[in-house]
Amino acid sequence: MSRSALQNGAALARRASIATLFGLGATLTLVQPGAAQSAADVVVLAGPCANCHGTDGRSPGPIVSIAGRPEALLLEQLMAFKSNNPPPGTTIMNRLAKGYTDEQLAALAAHFSKISANAPAAAPAKKKGK
Amino acid sequence: MAHSNVSRRQALALLGGAGAGAFAFSMPAIAQQSAGRVVVVGGGFGGATAARYLKRGNPKLSVTLIEPAKRFYTCPFTNLYFGGLRTFEQEGHTFDDLRRAGVQVVHERASDIDTKAKSVALSGGRKLPYDKLVLSPGIDFRWGALEGYDEAAAQLAPHAWQAGPQTTLLKKQLDSMQDGGLFIIVAPDNPFRCPPGPYERASMVAHYLKTKKPKSKLLILDAKDSFSKQGLFQDGWKKFYADNLEWVPRAKDGKVVKVNAKTLEVETEFGGKHKAAVLNVIPPQKAGAIADRAGVTNQSGWVPVKPQTFESTQVPDVYVVGDATIAAPMPKSGFCANAQGKVAAAAIVAALAGRPAPTASWANTCYSLIAPDYGISVAGVYAVDDGKLIEVKGSGGVSPREAPDSFRKLEADYGVGWYNAITQDTWGSKPAV
Repeated sequence: MSRSALQNGAALARRASIATLFGLGATLTLVQPGAAQSAADVVVLAGPCANCHGTDGRSPGPIVSIAGRPEALLLEQLMAFKSNNPPPGTTIMNRLAKGYTDEQLAALAAHFSKISANAPAAAPAKKKGK
Repeated sequence: MAHSNVSRRQALALLGGAGAGAFAFSMPAIAQQSAGRVVVVGGGFGGATAARYLKRGNPKLSVTLIEPAKRFYTCPFTNLYFGGLRTFEQEGHTFDDLRRAGVQVVHERASDIDTKAKSVALSGGRKLPYDKLVLSPGIDFRWGALEGYDEAAAQLAPHAWQAGPQTTLLKKQLDSMQDGGLFIIVAPDNPFRCPPGPYERASMVAHYLKTKKPKSKLLILDAKDSFSKQGLFQDGWKKFYADNLEWVPRAKDGKVVKVNAKTLEVETEFGGKHKAAVLNVIPPQKAGAIADRAGVTNQSGWVPVKPQTFESTQVPDVYVVGDATIAAPMPKSGFCANAQGKVAAAAIVAALAGRPAPTASWANTCYSLIAPDYGISVAGVYAVDDGKLIEVKGSGGVSPREAPDSFRKLEADYGVGWYNAITQDTWGSKPAV
């Protein structure tokens, strides 16, 4: 872990300069090129987002909520992160966005745009018959 | 309302009482037309998340979470408690919200697992049958692997590497240490829980010493020559703790081979001797003991899993998540345990419905605090490629070395944001005040 983290750091710096020289997107990696995303796949893909942006993308803290934001805006931001043009005030999403294909980012943008920004987290238990 | 509540309470009392047996547990399953019975052992980041996401994935599943603690304390953020920046209670979480989500939470210890009969034996004597089992057993220590360091020694020289009484014991020792004392952290070789943890702890203890006991010093004696986010940590130490923090790598005789907990003395590989005022030994580790009972560990002491689902490679229908697993390049972090819990939950929901597991995907972000308003991070995205767990090429990495203080401040704030979000996602907690 420690070594790979350091190597990643070096790789990141190298990549940044390469990106500057040759334009953005030079190092994007497709895990499954053109793979269609099933609904269940997208839910799993979106799973780790909750760990910083809150369950279903509704943040309880200082990190922005992503639930219910316009799909086009979410995708634009994700692509900006991926191409190393992160919006000011951000620190880590450029490193994370590079781990996803354009198709995956599009699926994530669509997924979170469809979740209501305000509704309580999906509550399964309404049939308790109190 | 009163009537039904009374009978419900009676039923709960039955459930809670020893000897209620399989009868009490099969009741809710029948009532809900259960689509399958899943038992989850361990209520930390991996297990609590798996339980919640099993219910989200299919509310008809009967999901039982076995966790002895009524209030679960996370290891993440206890370093800030040592730094005097948070209370211990701010790291405590209850299981009320998981109960509201329909998870049956049983506060007993899983004492044994019969993977042939597919049942979990509880400390109270009952046996719970399962169709699928999730183990999130965390870590146990290899007592005695480091000479002189056993359970009794841990009462004198705490590890504080499982949050609980050990954490408060070490904090008490730190608080009552006289100014001018030496605080020693003994850091283990890989693999171990929370790779940046010893170094964040060193930072937070050094912050406490600098502000409260400025004549004191901190020494890290390390069994390794490199560690997670090393460059960033060392930059921060130079900036804040040049006078009171020293890291000794293995190459400079940092590897401790013998501990005397009574005298708080340690001996290193090449005969170096150090005497501490407070001694924090983070010993060698392995998967939580219940993993051995289930037969899922291999000779390394950790648990090999199928990458796509986190099902054991050795025992069918047993899924293992979190620090206990062999999941490199994913680190043993709370974030990854949570992410693995979701992947396993999705795989189980699919399997019980006769569908193939969805495509697995994980991420990690890990923030460390070096000083108040000075945070650093590492991130990664993980996938399965050619049957193996990989870090997706081009993703992840650590915070930039050359970044303004405003960047470090943001990462300190986002660290808190991460903790608020992941504890909400795992236990349904609200941000602690």
